[in-house]
Amino acid sequence: MSSPVLIAHHLSKTIGEKTIVSDVSFEIEPGEVFGFLGPNGAGKTTTIRMLVGLIRPSTGNVTICGHDVEREFEAALRNVGCIVETPDLYRFMSGRENLEHFARMRRGVGEADIARVAELAMLSHRLEDKVRTYSLGMRQRLGIAVALLSRPKLLILDEPANGLDPAGIREMRNLLRRLSTDDGLAVFVSSHLLAEVELMCDRVAIIHRGTILETSPVQGLHAHAPEMEFRVDDAARAIALVESMGFPVAVNDGTLSIEIAEEQAPDVVLRLATEGVRIFHAQRRIRTLEERFIEATGGETV
Amino acid sequence: MIDLIRNEVLKLLRRRRFTIAVVILAVILSAVTYGQYRQLQSAKDGDWRARTQQTIVRYQNAMRRAQANPTWARSLRLEIARLQYYLDRDIQPDKPNAPYIVRAFANIAGFLLLPLLVSVLASDVVSAEHAEGTDKLLLTHPVRRWRILTSKLAAVFLFTTLLLLCGALLGFTISSFALESRGWGAPTFSGFRLTGETVDFAAVRQLPLWQDTLIAYGLEWYALLMVASIAVMLSTIFRSSAASIGTMMAALIGGTILTRLTPDWIAGKYFFVSALPLADYYTGQPPPYEGMPLLFCISLLAVWAAAALIVAYGLFTRRDVFG
Repeated sequence: MSSPVLIAHHLSKTIGEKTIVSDVSFEIEPGEVFGFLGPNGAGKTTTIRMLVGLIRPSTGNVTICGHDVEREFEAALRNVGCIVETPDLYRFMSGRENLEHFARMRRGVGEADIARVAELAMLSHRLEDKVRTYSLGMRQRLGIAVALLSRPKLLILDEPANGLDPAGIREMRNLLRRLSTDDGLAVFVSSHLLAEVELMCDRVAIIHRGTILETSPVQGLHAHAPEMEFRVDDAARAIALVESMGFPVAVNDGTLSIEIAEEQAPDVVLRLATEGVRIFHAQRRIRTLEERFIEATGGETV
Repeated sequence: MIDLIRNEVLKLLRRRRFTIAVVILAVILSAVTYGQYRQLQSAKDGDWRARTQQTIVRYQNAMRRAQANPTWARSLRLEIARLQYYLDRDIQPDKPNAPYIVRAFANIAGFLLLPLLVSVLASDVVSAEHAEGTDKLLLTHPVRRWRILTSKLAAVFLFTTLLLLCGALLGFTISSFALESRGWGAPTFSGFRLTGETVDFAAVRQLPLWQDTLIAYGLEWYALLMVASIAVMLSTIFRSSAASIGTMMAALIGGTILTRLTPDWIAGKYFFVSALPLADYYTGQPPPYEGMPLLFCISLLAVWAAAALIVAYGLFTRRDVFG
């Protein structure tokens, strides 16, 4: 049984009268990719800033690898690599100079590590160029290279897909996946993109208006709903038939949604078919993360 | 800590702040040297005694006209006394050679130029990190914030020292082309004081020029470090480099004008800018307000710098870093 890499314990941040983050708690296990999902302005970045000690929580605390971020800042942050918001690096220095700069802020990081992370981030060929000349995607990758310099146990990324093209996003996803399965790296990813979180993460917390609404495994979010969708030629007759069998039906855009368990589905299909209703389409509905998200946030746009 | 200071030194160099400052120094020193050279050419045949006498007469006339401006009159009175003091001992004052240029640089540049250049160096060490967004990366590495600020301060102090040395070295090199480069042993008098209307010679000391120069540079160096501390504080207070540099410039230039225009406003003597030209005061220029002996100026600067550093560390180590 391994202990969590990160524990956020009842974090709140109040500025003046305004509560930005309220009672946020979660844990991240080694090797886990943890998604932090919420619309813009939900308190994601504030929470991240509290995780890495940029902002002092009003109440609550953060523990990384057993060290309190506020009281044992150095011991805690030694285990973390992070990108907060945008990957801002020193634009007037080259990629290599940036890596060397941050390597000097960590113990036991040497020339070999710089070569290793440059390789990982696929930047070896542009390392001598000034960061000013990099594209946003390259800066994003350089940011990740900096974060991985000292082989951290926890990687914290804020909106890592920003500025990346679809191929870049896929590479990033594969890289994170590889690091988490091979090296046991725990990854915390914030995002407002559902699809991204769905593809990347093991577990997800949905944050809205500063509070966590729900934390669950991404697999759980996919759980099949007890509902089937039918498209037929004669909706009215089909509704009457299904209702006579005792199942509630809802109609949406000519599609019938019938609340039935999996084992009852063949009965309904058989009944409709024998009564001469032509079935074009019958499918068990999968509730997507998006629907869960909209459910949880009360329909707020993402 | 050495590694952290290396980082800060590298960033300062890469931002080209130091290069700009040195170029400005070189330009100004070339101009000063050229001026001295022209002056020397035009006065080649004349006897320095006669010339000094002429200068004294000119100052006396100016003083009669300058009664409306007491500060100016006071400084003329002291200058006349100083030149007369040299003349009485048959020693040539302010001999235009390279060592003299170097010595004079401490006074000329210490007045406004060097404090301004140091402010340019120091004013954005913290604010630039915020403006460029790099503070979030800098402060999420396993290094306590006070160590980061200390490394920044150390780098600024280092470059302040280098800037002063560069000024002296540049001054000597440039003026050596046009002027005599020997003369470090020439007897020099410093320590003229004005008490009320009379010049006080009690504290006047004769030193060889090189010793006198060392003392002047030591004082100047001290004053500049204090300026640097205040600039670093402004840099932590303001999130934009323009605001911190602007405030520092306004304080320096505005303060200098203020102290010259309002000699009656006694509270002005507690403003750090009044105490800045330490090398001037050491030579014998009167401070703008009564009751500002050298030791007072030195302590005043120390108090300001200490307060500035307390504010800077307090803010930097506690502040929440938002976007």
